[in-house]
Amino acid sequence: MNSVPVFAFTCPVKTNSGNKALEHLPVELAGLNACRPLIITSAKAVGRKAVRTLQNAFGDSGMTLGLFDGVTKTADLGLIEHLKNICLEKKYDAIIALGGYDIVDAAKVLNLAVSLDTADAHKLSPETPVRRHLSPLVVVPTAAASGLETSKFAHFSRRIYSSEYLAPNLVVIDPRLTRAADGKTIAATGLAALGRAAESHISADANPFRDAYSFAAIRFVKENLPAAVIKPADKKASLAILNAASMSGCAASDANSARLHKLGQVFYEMQHIPQGVIMGMCLPHVLGDYLQEGINDLASLLLPLVGEDEFSRTPAAKRADAALAVLGRFLADLYGALGKDLPRNLREAGVPGYIMEDILDVLDKDNEGPYLRTVVERIAE
Amino acid sequence: MLLPDYYEFCCRVKIVAGHDALEKIPELLTERGAKRPLIITDKGVASAGLIDIVSAAQKDRLFADLIADNVPPDSDLRVVNQLAKLYKENDCDAIIAVGGGSVMDTAKGVNIVVSENAEDLMAFSGVGALKRPLKPLIAVPTTAGTGSEVTQVAVIKDHEKHLKMAFGSYFLLPDISVLDSRMTMTMPPLITAMTGMDALSHAVEAYYCLQKNPLSDAHSLAAVRMIYHYLPIVAENPSDRNARLSMAVGACLAGIAFSNSMVGLVHNLGHATGSVCGVPHGICMAIMLPYGLEYNMHKREEAIAGLLLPMAGEAIYRETPPAQRADKVVSLIRQLNADLNTITGGRHARFFKEVKDREGKPLVPREVLPQIARAALSDGASIYNPEDTDYEDNLMVLEAAWEGIPLDRNKIKRG
Repeated sequence: MNSVPVFAFTCPVKTNSGNKALEHLPVELAGLNACRPLIITSAKAVGRKAVRTLQNAFGDSGMTLGLFDGVTKTADLGLIEHLKNICLEKKYDAIIALGGYDIVDAAKVLNLAVSLDTADAHKLSPETPVRRHLSPLVVVPTAAASGLETSKFAHFSRRIYSSEYLAPNLVVIDPRLTRAADGKTIAATGLAALGRAAESHISADANPFRDAYSFAAIRFVKENLPAAVIKPADKKASLAILNAASMSGCAASDANSARLHKLGQVFYEMQHIPQGVIMGMCLPHVLGDYLQEGINDLASLLLPLVGEDEFSRTPAAKRADAALAVLGRFLADLYGALGKDLPRNLREAGVPGYIMEDILDVLDKDNEGPYLRTVVERIAE
Repeated sequence: MLLPDYYEFCCRVKIVAGHDALEKIPELLTERGAKRPLIITDKGVASAGLIDIVSAAQKDRLFADLIADNVPPDSDLRVVNQLAKLYKENDCDAIIAVGGGSVMDTAKGVNIVVSENAEDLMAFSGVGALKRPLKPLIAVPTTAGTGSEVTQVAVIKDHEKHLKMAFGSYFLLPDISVLDSRMTMTMPPLITAMTGMDALSHAVEAYYCLQKNPLSDAHSLAAVRMIYHYLPIVAENPSDRNARLSMAVGACLAGIAFSNSMVGLVHNLGHATGSVCGVPHGICMAIMLPYGLEYNMHKREEAIAGLLLPMAGEAIYRETPPAQRADKVVSLIRQLNADLNTITGGRHARFFKEVKDREGKPLVPREVLPQIARAALSDGASIYNPEDTDYEDNLMVLEAAWEGIPLDRNKIKRG
């Protein structure tokens, strides 16, 4: 390890993964001094069966469960104020976010409103100071995940909230909920996990605590995504992918730059394209550019991608290029397996010209705007 | 990569590491709304000048003058209660624990008392008795190490009632662990060697024992790589601050691994040897480590082989045929013990026969081995060991570890 400035890492999230993970929820909530959780979800996004599976897991625990299943992509602080009042009235003492993306973002901001006793949630903003633990928040992911569910970030109403205290206390990854309806959904989740994990490793200073999460995520995606895409009902493979998504979120909380993330986020917000789809398109370009910059450790990415034998046989000087080549082949195989279901460029994704203008306007406001534009140009066709 | 049918993993501690990490403490406390910490330590740490370094690093940004240095080598309920009273009388709002395992345990006990206004600490013993976050606790380890800066357990002894109280809760995890190279610079080579091997045993056992999971594995491998590489360096060059920091980081990674994956035979027999004969914990771990691997080899060969690359690097990994990798790991650990023995002028023992006290008296007489083998039967660490152990198995392993000869694997009963 070279002489490095002070570095830090935190992952406030506990992981429970596997068979009957949901059934541990009553004990976990009791351990957090909670007994009246409010489930926040979108029945349209996750399906009523998932909601029932979660509710049934509480069995005869005696806990009172609330349910709001109408979260949409256009959720705003008005909804948060409404839900906050419901929490106060019904005395809910924990939040369970069932699903991913906007559902979890809304749950995090709701948790902020409730825990800080905010008089008017409309006044909440990313500048609202948070200096203590919030009420218990549990995330229960389903197959469609952005990879930020376990992170300290909430992208809500076009603003970015960021605090260690926003991250959930617990992520419950249960194979009954993580298997996908189709290959493209799990592919998007896997690519988001892969992109976030790779970027969090190479875009920041060396940090073995963060790398524990990001390398495990990369390995899970590499080893399981091809199987999960071909057979989305494969519980084990999709469980591994959602593990990877959760781990990548933990790593992403501590990353510096976030080029892949920014690109994924803007296309999601403007055109509702799952972030992993865009991140998959951008991955070879962004990583290749990092390689050209020559200051980032791409070489060590090879180990989780290919395993010990191939890694040790590859000369050190060739590992970075080898990592890019492996990723290139991996992506090509995914595109081959999914065909039209996984767009390889923005044209295949059907992004209209006028939306592109808006997207570029948003990117231009970013301090890396000029660079991000070059990536968008390269993934256009 | 292994994905268990079910697993749990948690390390909520914020890790802050660097050559000047201590200077971050004031802002870390401010982020948590605290500004008046009680510093808990022991006389050894204080006399090594480490508390002066901690205080100086705060540079008047913090009231870092309330220091209690009376933590004994074994955590004591009386001291816990006395320190909790000191905390309350001085309107403290945070704790900074600077030291090794006993200081960390004491600080965790104090935190329970002050956070829950506990009249009787015993009421919070066991697992799951705590239900909400405690006061901010910053752990600053001074060895590399026990890993107790990232564990959710504490053991406090009630010497009056002759009881040992054990506490287990994620709320006991320190909020922050500050790994600063200055805190381990003064460790002499023997302590460096034994605490380093303690850390290595955590990382290795976590990797092959029954409760392993993807995240504990990732932490184990990272820990093994750092500790194996830097321990001999830092034992020979105590003032190499990069090596010191790497060891602190490695020991912390190992602590995260084993606290989420449990340990096995090495700790089982090591604890028993420590409690029967008074052998320092790290020495027990160092001696037992190769035997734990040999004993479990028939059940865990693939996992043990997986340690070779992080330990030895690519060249040795490439040269070692796959069928020999696990054995190579065992021989490398034996060699590490031998190297540390040389570096410490013979004081870092390679086997129990050569463990001596300061006066040169052997600490582990051969005739005591049966007593140790029996004592190990009631230690919880046996539960997570891949292969079953009984009295005869324990004695067989202890005999080999006493002589310093490899285990005869043909004699291992396979369960």
